[in-house]
Amino acid sequence: MNTLSQKRAPQFNLKDWGLVILLVLLIVFFTIGSPNFLNFSNIRNILLQNAHVAIVSMAVAIIMISGGTDLSIGYQMALASVVSAKMMMSGVPFPVAILAALVITVICSTLNELFSLVLKGHTMIITLGTMSAYQGLAYIISNAQNFHNLPDSFLLLGQGRIAGVIPVNIIIMVVLFIITAVVLGCTHAGKKLYAVGDNPEAARLAGINVPRVKLVAFALAGVLTGIAAMVLTARTGNATATTGSGLEFTGITAAVLGGVSLKGGEGKLWRVIVAAYILGILSNGMQLIGLGTYPQYIAKGVVMLISIGLGNGVFSFRSRKKSK
Amino acid sequence: MQEELILRNISKNYAGVQALKNVSIRFRAGEVHALIGENGAGKSTLIKVISGVVQPTEGEIEIFGETVRDMTPLKAIHKGIAVVHQEMIQFEGMTVADNVCMEESVQKEGLINREAIYRRTRELLGQFETNINPSDLVGSLSMANRQIVEIAKALNLNARVVIFDEPTASITVQEQKDLFKLIKNLKAKGITVLYISHRLEELAEICDRVSVMRDGEYRGTMEMAQTSVAQMINLMVGRELGNLYIEKQPYEPEVVLRAEHLSGNGVKNVSFELHRGEILGFAGLVGAGRTELMHVIYGAARMESGKLYLYGKETQIRDPADAIRKGIGMIPEDRKSQGVFLDKPIAWNITLASMKKFRHFLFVDRKKEREEAEKYQKSLRIKAASLESNPSTLSGGNQQKVVLAKTLSADPDIIIFDEPTRGVDVGARNEIYQLMVDLTQQGKSILMVSSDMSELIGMSENIVVLHEGELTGKLSKEEFRQNRILELASGIE
Repeated sequence: MNTLSQKRAPQFNLKDWGLVILLVLLIVFFTIGSPNFLNFSNIRNILLQNAHVAIVSMAVAIIMISGGTDLSIGYQMALASVVSAKMMMSGVPFPVAILAALVITVICSTLNELFSLVLKGHTMIITLGTMSAYQGLAYIISNAQNFHNLPDSFLLLGQGRIAGVIPVNIIIMVVLFIITAVVLGCTHAGKKLYAVGDNPEAARLAGINVPRVKLVAFALAGVLTGIAAMVLTARTGNATATTGSGLEFTGITAAVLGGVSLKGGEGKLWRVIVAAYILGILSNGMQLIGLGTYPQYIAKGVVMLISIGLGNGVFSFRSRKKSK
Repeated sequence: MQEELILRNISKNYAGVQALKNVSIRFRAGEVHALIGENGAGKSTLIKVISGVVQPTEGEIEIFGETVRDMTPLKAIHKGIAVVHQEMIQFEGMTVADNVCMEESVQKEGLINREAIYRRTRELLGQFETNINPSDLVGSLSMANRQIVEIAKALNLNARVVIFDEPTASITVQEQKDLFKLIKNLKAKGITVLYISHRLEELAEICDRVSVMRDGEYRGTMEMAQTSVAQMINLMVGRELGNLYIEKQPYEPEVVLRAEHLSGNGVKNVSFELHRGEILGFAGLVGAGRTELMHVIYGAARMESGKLYLYGKETQIRDPADAIRKGIGMIPEDRKSQGVFLDKPIAWNITLASMKKFRHFLFVDRKKEREEAEKYQKSLRIKAASLESNPSTLSGGNQQKVVLAKTLSADPDIIIFDEPTRGVDVGARNEIYQLMVDLTQQGKSILMVSSDMSELIGMSENIVVLHEGELTGKLSKEEFRQNRILELASGIE
């Protein structure tokens, strides 16, 4: 009893809080740099413009914790987006269309892991293949068309505001974050997920059904991907075969910056969300201070490198602390 | 006769453990010299000293009349010492020629003359009867052929001393014949061969002399022609057992687990019975199929034929989860890759296999989990700063206790201990033995795989001996003799 009740004094660890420090530094920097940065409407803009990125990052985090990778997420989103848009345009009620979108992403995502199990290939390679297939499907189904004029009730998902102030998509993101964080951190399913990603053989010998856990992880990620696709489609008000493409890399970037191990079995969800918003703040802030598009790319790269160093505890203030 | 390699008074300390004590051996030019001893006798350390991987604490090596004190791997290569490792360390994605001529690329810069390395590799391989092509990928070759590549590589470096570490552990009987031909070939060139093997029966066929190690000490060198397997075994083991082992009550007559003609996963037709409260030992050499058998019983590998009876009823075990449900637990052989999650908290580890016990609605009941972890920390005396710290910070013995706690937390009735004390220091070892005896007194039964002969004899009440996947003997306590067990394990009958 006594060993655990003696909780140690919380130690400040730069490795744990590096991302938060970076977030604060960026906010301070942009606030000084532009008078338009730190105000309610801009902050709200950043939050709502990146809600779907945050949701995709959660999907990526789950998959990476299980020890996999999914490069096809962007085109799963495109597929879900064009199918649901097409359905809505032909008069299908929007909840049914949303459900169809989710079914599609769950199937696509689960197929990725299924192929990986059957074909005995790493999901990184498998999803390079399915990425291309899903992309083709999205183009065929959309006939390379751009769908807009989506029903207003659907658009509320991405553009609506509760009480006229809080955007609906932010609420969706926060709710999903809470649910996912609880599943990962407080349930046996979450513990199994970490165990499988950390050491599949040891997990198997401990009695965990490794393939099943991985399939469930991909299915759950599929749900999140589908919701992200809907939120994005509703916010932009149109759907094409390129909706969401490239988001898999933004998601992987956020997950890795957030400390999700490339080997699997490690990572905290809140940090992934912080990382996703660091990326969001960066592009918003750089625009506001009037940085050109190309310098923006460079700045983004530099900030990413710094945050990797922070996450790995390369920059340390320890010596200064000790000398006190 | 000319002596090429002389070891003088070599001692080696590893953080307080004396792995080698004042070892002096002389190896002659052009002889095949066997080096034998039990696990932990110091053979591997001796090889590492010779090949410059570790520095001896004391002593010196003389090679071709030149005394070398600070041997490094690079120096050893240049002096003509080559090691063919049991687990061959090769570039599997590269061609045979690239592997054979790797040293050149280490030394030189610039373009590789592919023509030249292919030609040279072909010449080197031409000395052996083999169909290996210089352009073959090493990863696509059989273990035996990969050995040939290693030997060609050694010859390319003008090796004068070639050390074989357990070369026959992973090759077939036919391949073994080819290997012996090859070794004779080396010998004919005047190359000194050091031959390390657990398979005593094969030594007479190939070796000229044999040196025996025990507990880090050199026990003597004999002419192979005048030595019997029994003599070698006597020199290898002849040690009194201390009181490390604990007396236990005899087991009950009830049979809890019965295997009938079990086959699969490399195991052939093995039958045995485990009684309530019994510790049943499994002896055998590396690769005898003991761990493989345990994996079949635990459902971690497929059973191809045979029957398994639990408490008299025939049972199928589908997977490890099924085994745990049916009351079978396993402490795996390789702690780090199969047992413990090094970077997850101790409490997390302990409750991993017994999660169901801590379910509260949909969530984890953290309080109950913590109580369980504390219970085991106390009863197994796991020395850790906190149950939230990671096992990577613990000693081998304490890591093993975490694995024990994980397995015990699932309330098994039959427990498989696969190498329970490998890499565990003597103090923790004793505690693990005490725990095993306590468990049997609570009516649990134990299957114990061990390569430590004294542990097998000290702890087991019956011993099953395996050789190449087959059962070669069952011994009861009064029949336990190390020589007898080793004979059965070597398959000499």
